[in-house]
Amino acid sequence: MDAYLDGQLDPVISQRVEQHLRECGECEQAYEAEAAMAHAISQTAPYYKAPSELREQIRFSLRQTLGMTTSRGAVEGAPLSVERPETTRRGASFAMPWNWLALAAAIVLAAIIGATLLPRLRQPGSDQFLATQLIASHVRSLMADHLTDVASSDQHTVKPWLDAKLDFAAPVVDLAKDGFPLIGGRLDYLDNHAAAALVYQRRKHFINLFIWPTTAGDGKAPPMVAHQGYHLLHWSDGDFTYWAVSDVNIGDLDNFKQLFEQQTTRR
Amino acid sequence: MALTLKAQHTLDTGDLESRRKIVKFAVVKNTEGTHVETAELASFEQAMLPHLDAAYNLARWLVRNEQDAQDVVQEAYLRAFKSFGGFRGSNGRPWLLTIVRNTSYTLLKKNRSVDLTTTFDEETHASAPELASPATILEHAENAELIKNAMNELSPDFREILTLRHQEDLSYQDIGDILKIPTGTVMSRLARARAKLKECLLSNISQEK
Repeated sequence: MDAYLDGQLDPVISQRVEQHLRECGECEQAYEAEAAMAHAISQTAPYYKAPSELREQIRFSLRQTLGMTTSRGAVEGAPLSVERPETTRRGASFAMPWNWLALAAAIVLAAIIGATLLPRLRQPGSDQFLATQLIASHVRSLMADHLTDVASSDQHTVKPWLDAKLDFAAPVVDLAKDGFPLIGGRLDYLDNHAAAALVYQRRKHFINLFIWPTTAGDGKAPPMVAHQGYHLLHWSDGDFTYWAVSDVNIGDLDNFKQLFEQQTTRR
Repeated sequence: MALTLKAQHTLDTGDLESRRKIVKFAVVKNTEGTHVETAELASFEQAMLPHLDAAYNLARWLVRNEQDAQDVVQEAYLRAFKSFGGFRGSNGRPWLLTIVRNTSYTLLKKNRSVDLTTTFDEETHASAPELASPATILEHAENAELIKNAMNELSPDFREILTLRHQEDLSYQDIGDILKIPTGTVMSRLARARAKLKECLLSNISQEK
């Protein structure tokens, strides 16, 4: 009878039980009592839904185990909630060493790269030095599991996030339909000012697009620099200075630049 | 950043070529590793986050408080992600619930807040008002507080089997897999759980009067 109640019988036996219940009053009464219990559990007893912050908490912890977050947190709005100190501490306690190790490793490696790049680049002047910084930042972003501070393919998520953290409103466009999906955004500091870094993907490669408000000294740099397998493209639209850095081939990068320019001038 | 680079510049040596190659290698390796991990995380979340409510509900019934349930579920998801590589099935919910259950029991045992042997207790005083009319039960079946309290009086193995069967609507087969018991045992334990729940319910009702 229990299996009948639970709908776990094959149809033939199920029909026979049904038949019997119709004929036997005692069994029918017992069955109805059982059915009432089942109904009480499924319909009346509370079904506890997970609190919404738990989902974010889990997504945040999962990223921490991969070392994909920094102290800023890659999951936007991940609640390091005040009322739940135990879990926060538990999560942080195993994640922090990772982050710091990754950061330390990144600095050391960036320093080594810097040391190798600098002698060749520095002599011609500050433009080359900027190029070095850009490449270092690009490489660093790939090494330290710190590609993005805000991971989203939605320009309407990335742009407000950056706007809130910078004192300028950098243009953000998604070029997914042209084969350059937006991966996210990041904050950076280059050439003595804060910069927005937009991260795009081209097949398996990443493109870092650095944006900052144009100042008097900008725009003198050559529009294209190639160094050690990295390509740098530079342009300006009057308001902002753009530097695209990637190891994709120069044709793709130039294509990316043109698409981005089209999208930004259109609006 | 600029300062670091300038300082390093003074360390310029002639051995740059070999060092550069090492660095390049490290960069490529790390990038691909990240890519794979990110993809795995995405497929894990896609497969498992839809079952978050089921996971939480089971944990909430087992550990019987909100805070512990949240901790258990979070821990279970981390464990699940670690062994996600071994998950081949298409049915993610029983797989995840198995891990949630194990994690819940780890906590219950650690806290010793619940005597896990209470299961055998029911045999000793199973002679409570047995002649429960369906009418009495139906009359109180909509009283959520009453049902909830009665459920919470049951031992964990009854609570879990009732929620898996009647709230998650899982088959005997899936329940057997989760609880690591044969299907026949699922059936008999379920019957005993419902009988015990009815007993608690009736005894609570008679106390109220």
